[in-house]
Amino acid sequence: MQDTWHTIINLSALEPNDVTQVIYNNQTLAVYDTTDGVFVSDARCTHAGANLCDGYFDGRNIECPLHQGLFDARTGNAKAAPATRSLKMYACRVHDGEVQIKLPHL
Amino acid sequence: MNAPVLTPITQAMQEGALTRRELKQLMQRSDKPALLRLLLWFGVLAVTGSLVGLSLGHWLVFPAMLLHGIVLVHHFSLQHECCHYTAFKTRWLNDWVGNYCGLVIMLPNRFFRYEHCDHHTYTQVVGKDTEMIELPKSLFGYFGYISSYPYWKAKFSELWRHCLGRITADDKRFVPREEYKTVIWEARLMAAFYAIVILFSVAFQFWGTLWFWFLPVVLGEPVMRAIRMTEHVGRPTVADMKTNTRSNRVALPWRFLCWNMNYHAEHHYASSVPFHALPALSEKLDGYIYTEKRGYFGAHVDIVSQLLRKSK
Repeated sequence: MQDTWHTIINLSALEPNDVTQVIYNNQTLAVYDTTDGVFVSDARCTHAGANLCDGYFDGRNIECPLHQGLFDARTGNAKAAPATRSLKMYACRVHDGEVQIKLPHL
Repeated sequence: MNAPVLTPITQAMQEGALTRRELKQLMQRSDKPALLRLLLWFGVLAVTGSLVGLSLGHWLVFPAMLLHGIVLVHHFSLQHECCHYTAFKTRWLNDWVGNYCGLVIMLPNRFFRYEHCDHHTYTQVVGKDTEMIELPKSLFGYFGYISSYPYWKAKFSELWRHCLGRITADDKRFVPREEYKTVIWEARLMAAFYAIVILFSVAFQFWGTLWFWFLPVVLGEPVMRAIRMTEHVGRPTVADMKTNTRSNRVALPWRFLCWNMNYHAEHHYASSVPFHALPALSEKLDGYIYTEKRGYFGAHVDIVSQLLRKSK
């Protein structure tokens, strides 16, 4: 099965320098407008399942709104307790003003 | 991967109590408010400590130590704010100040953080809330809790257990396996620190540690126990944040001491909102959460009335 690029949101619709919630194919995604570009992860915290889109974002790191666990929004790496498992990240790109992620061809 | 959970803040936004944009605005961090407050904090400690110093050898030393102790035990409030990483924008400052507070009141910072996370997950859920204080069954139980004897017994046992390298089944509910060693070494370092302080005091016949620190903390802790009771005790033991937590309208000196944690329901709704933004969050959530307008005193009137009704 070949992976293909899927548009999930227009770049202009992103919250500048913040995290934006996108629901795509019944999946809640977190789209981060970081200092190093746009990155996309699963929106659920790997510790207790809270929605990271409601968390504090400092331009690089996303903090869980429930327990303040910390993840690097660019790599998904868990950086601080109580988060210990990395976020699921999606390969993403900005193409013609659209944020796209790579998914298996439907 | 855990199943999605409906956190209090997600619920509040879904029910229109707050917008995401408003939340993001309130979440903005800064080092300045906490650093300024900390300066005043140490100023207040210097004043209350001086009162202890001036009254040494006189019976007035006991009320002076109580006053000093009330300020000292409120290091808990600052530590609590630090454990949410909302006191300071600079994350390591929260760790350093949180650990300092933990040493003042004998509350290991990392272990407290894990325990407190679980309290936020299972607030007022019987058998799951790690910090739950149950409604006392009698006035004896009520005053027994406020005496702080059960609290200190639990804290000394916990520290001793962790020093011995024991992680209980209860601990394992909220401490990740990869953090067992951290919790154990944190307890050992804390115990070693106290041992050094006590040895130093004995060796040099320096009793300042007793008069300015240990005794005031013991005298002040009942006040902290009474304040902690106002947060949830007597509220319904259900998972609904609109009812299970009590905010208290209190006077400025108390708000200063508790780092605005009297806005407790607001804090549980959005624990990423720093202490200095809680009054603004409170205005947004006015009418949506439960607030005790008579403050700490009113909360205790409510608690005692409930326990007297139950014990009849």
